[in-house]
Amino acid sequence: MASKMLKNGDAELTVEERKVYDRQIRLWGYEGQNKLKSLKVLLIGMQGLGAEIAKNLILSGVHSITLKDHTSVSILDRCSQFLIPRDSEERNRAKASLSAAQKLNPNVKVIADTVPIEENVDNFITMYDVVIATECSLSTYKRLSELCRKANIMIFIADVYGLFGYFYQDVNFTHPLYSEIFPNNAQIDTITLAKKPPQAYYLTSALLKFQSDSNRKPNPDTSEEDIEELKSIIHLQMNSSSDQKSTAIDLFEEYYGELFCELSPTTSILGAMVSQTAINTVMNKPVSNFNVFFYDHVKHEGTFYLL
Amino acid sequence: MAATIAGVFKPEVQNLIINSKILLVGSGGIGCEVLKNLVMLGFCNIEVIDLDTIEVSNLNRQFLFNKESVGKPKSHVAKTSVLKFNPNVNITSHFGDITDNKYGVAFFNKFKLVINALDNKKARSHVNRMCLSCEIPLIESGTMGYQGQVEFILKGVSMCFECNARSEPKSYPMCTIRNTPREPIHCIIWAKYLFSQLFGNSDEDVSMEQKEEVEGGYEKLSARNWAIKNEYNPKKLFKKIFFDDIIYLLGMSHLYEGRIIKPVLLDESLLEQEYCEYNHVPDNKILTLEQSISMFSDSVTAIKEKLGESNAECLTWDKDDDNFMSFVVSCSNIRSAIFNIPFKSYFDIKSMAGNIIPAIATANAMVAGQIVIHALRILQKKYDRCQNVFLRSMPNHKGGLLVKDKDVLKPNPKCNVCISDGEILLVTDTHKFTIRQLEELVLKKKLNMVAPDVQIDDRVIISSDADDEVNMYDLTLLEAGLKDRSTFEVDDGLQSFIIKIKVHHQEKYEEEEPDFEIFNNMNEFNAANEINKYMELNENDDDCVIEEKTVDSSGSGVCVNNEDIKEAVMVSKKEVTEEISNEEGTEEISNKEGTEEISNEEGTEEISNKEGIEEISNKEGAKDITNGEGAEEILAIKRKAAEEIEDINDVKKSRVD
Repeated sequence: MASKMLKNGDAELTVEERKVYDRQIRLWGYEGQNKLKSLKVLLIGMQGLGAEIAKNLILSGVHSITLKDHTSVSILDRCSQFLIPRDSEERNRAKASLSAAQKLNPNVKVIADTVPIEENVDNFITMYDVVIATECSLSTYKRLSELCRKANIMIFIADVYGLFGYFYQDVNFTHPLYSEIFPNNAQIDTITLAKKPPQAYYLTSALLKFQSDSNRKPNPDTSEEDIEELKSIIHLQMNSSSDQKSTAIDLFEEYYGELFCELSPTTSILGAMVSQTAINTVMNKPVSNFNVFFYDHVKHEGTFYLL
Repeated sequence: MAATIAGVFKPEVQNLIINSKILLVGSGGIGCEVLKNLVMLGFCNIEVIDLDTIEVSNLNRQFLFNKESVGKPKSHVAKTSVLKFNPNVNITSHFGDITDNKYGVAFFNKFKLVINALDNKKARSHVNRMCLSCEIPLIESGTMGYQGQVEFILKGVSMCFECNARSEPKSYPMCTIRNTPREPIHCIIWAKYLFSQLFGNSDEDVSMEQKEEVEGGYEKLSARNWAIKNEYNPKKLFKKIFFDDIIYLLGMSHLYEGRIIKPVLLDESLLEQEYCEYNHVPDNKILTLEQSISMFSDSVTAIKEKLGESNAECLTWDKDDDNFMSFVVSCSNIRSAIFNIPFKSYFDIKSMAGNIIPAIATANAMVAGQIVIHALRILQKKYDRCQNVFLRSMPNHKGGLLVKDKDVLKPNPKCNVCISDGEILLVTDTHKFTIRQLEELVLKKKLNMVAPDVQIDDRVIISSDADDEVNMYDLTLLEAGLKDRSTFEVDDGLQSFIIKIKVHHQEKYEEEEPDFEIFNNMNEFNAANEINKYMELNENDDDCVIEEKTVDSSGSGVCVNNEDIKEAVMVSKKEVTEEISNEEGTEEISNKEGTEEISNEEGTEEISNKEGIEEISNKEGAKDITNGEGAEEILAIKRKAAEEIEDINDVKKSRVD
């Protein structure tokens, strides 16, 4: 009978999966869908950006995703962490996200992991095809970047500050390591970078420096002081760099007011950007000539750079 | 929620978020993501409307739904899901059609901002007009595959949805479908017509009448009645459709005289072939002719059963019914065999027959994020920051993936919708064109009106009020008093949209000619005639090709302007003379300062390589125009290209979430 469904393009997918993924199989074919189906993802950091990345990758139909976070839910998660139900304060972020994350797609194995990434990181990451890290310390990013390079595992490092966001990728293991691009120095030495960095790079550097000095991101409770602190970091960085004029500092005025928490429009954009870039890489369509992406919330532009 | 936490936003922005009431039209792919972003950001007065119910194929991206919610109204389920993020927001969900007159001016006036997350041009045009009329800012959006766009619309400030001609879905001349198919799509469309003719409610016959023996002689039966009389016997149907009908075509000698396209009768042994198993073949692989014939036979049997079980006399074709799909797949491939056209797989035919637009979660999420950032800027009245933003599938050479227009585009001074209550030219045969056709085809379908009223000298010709008894519908324009060169006014009270239409009579000789054409003025009409003449001169032996071109060059929307015609001509000319192949990575368009970014955007290889998209976006065409006029034209092309994305498959059920 014709009513019997035709077999799939590949026996790997069930009829049910084929129906759910139909609209994307028409974009990347059965071949692409099967590549996704074997993909094992490690996602570190389950705040708003982590939730978005988890959502996109779980919906796309990866093999498995490990949500790794040892921290507890805070009131600030309400800005964009839509996987955590209300009244979950004090619970572990990964565990609190698990149920809603799993519901997005029963075909994907979703695991919550509450062990800090700093413990046992060396052996751990080799179990995965791709590592995506958010909300870590700079030293952790640096270490992950080096370890993934050694193990030939592709890595994405991403953070959102208010409506601003960036991500770093190492997918073909030839461009600079994370710590070479974001060395976290008081002064920016543009000579070490491949070419003249954009405005968003200075903002990112300043935010990372702030984070490393204060051991936290800029906080809405202390917004005014934090803005002053950021300004002074940027002053220092801009004045010290040879090819920037100090007048350029005024360009940042509009950015300061919207750098707090992880806000949903930008976690939505950046989370999708990271997810899709990872998916494209798995499907042999990597963005190989660029390594850093900035979402500029004042200019409304999302642009890749090679740094 | 972000706006309830002190310090996240400046107090003025915080107040705007908390106090602004938002209307979200559509809770599909983009809508789900927008709703999440709005609620998480702290918007607490939202109304959401959608007329659709949830389907399994939505679940790869519409993350507020799951398997248990399949079949339920999208708007209600979306509301329930986001209330879990924040139970304290005030969301009203409507399961309904935004073009319904219960959502009139009073409804729209409740909102500070309207967000369109729609999938069809009719509803988009309608909301556009409502927002123009109420002077409410509108964010318009769309995605297709990896790509998408966000546009800002406000009366007098920026371009409206209808300032530029929006492309029409591609149509195919009936003579190509009936007699001279050249491509798989022609056979697929034919197969859908055949389905309607045999099982549904058909307005285009593709299978011939059949002589049937009755008492005392013969009588001619329609294909439908003949099939019913023969109880949809698959073998008999196969013989009739794929042998007898073809013999009939071949008997009309003028049809194929001197032509390359000519049907070739199938081997008669196929009439008695054994059942040929095909269920093991993956749906992305091509069946053999023998397998297709077995599939045809199985699908006819199954559809006949379905027709018998249902009380309805007619079935409506649906791409999600596996038997209906199998019927179209097998029929179109068998017909392809007759016309020496390559076969297509079940998977590919489903895409084409169902006008399926690929869709992924990430593109929707990116567009939805930008929509909400635009929303913040609009509420802050920073209109100069609300340039249209485009999502590309891959970064351009400068790394741009989310790129924007250089400026907010000013309204088109010629736009009949947002600038003037203008006048357009309706070219038709006033002896044949009826008032019903005027209402359905011109006013509703073409001009996207929902409640048009027409009065001439105090006589009501067309009324939007169901209580008005108007008996004019079967009259021709001439009989109703709309003769050549007369002008009448159409008023859509719901949309506050008024337009004058001038009638230009043109005799229609052949069935294949379009029923009507719309132009901005006589000059455009004359220009289009010139084009047609030019193309007739360059015609090859296929007398139907001209039909496709006519659609291309005159098929634009309400505000066609000369540039659009020029553009269409350039493209059409090239299509006639040569097939333009757009190779990846050909040279960049050189142009004036400031336009580079724009021309590098949507109009290039990714789009023009997609099947079914007209090649308006090709670089050759762009270059010609660039040399002449500059940035404006590039913008037009770019917009067009972006619009192809959302508009090519504008047909009812297709999804551009």
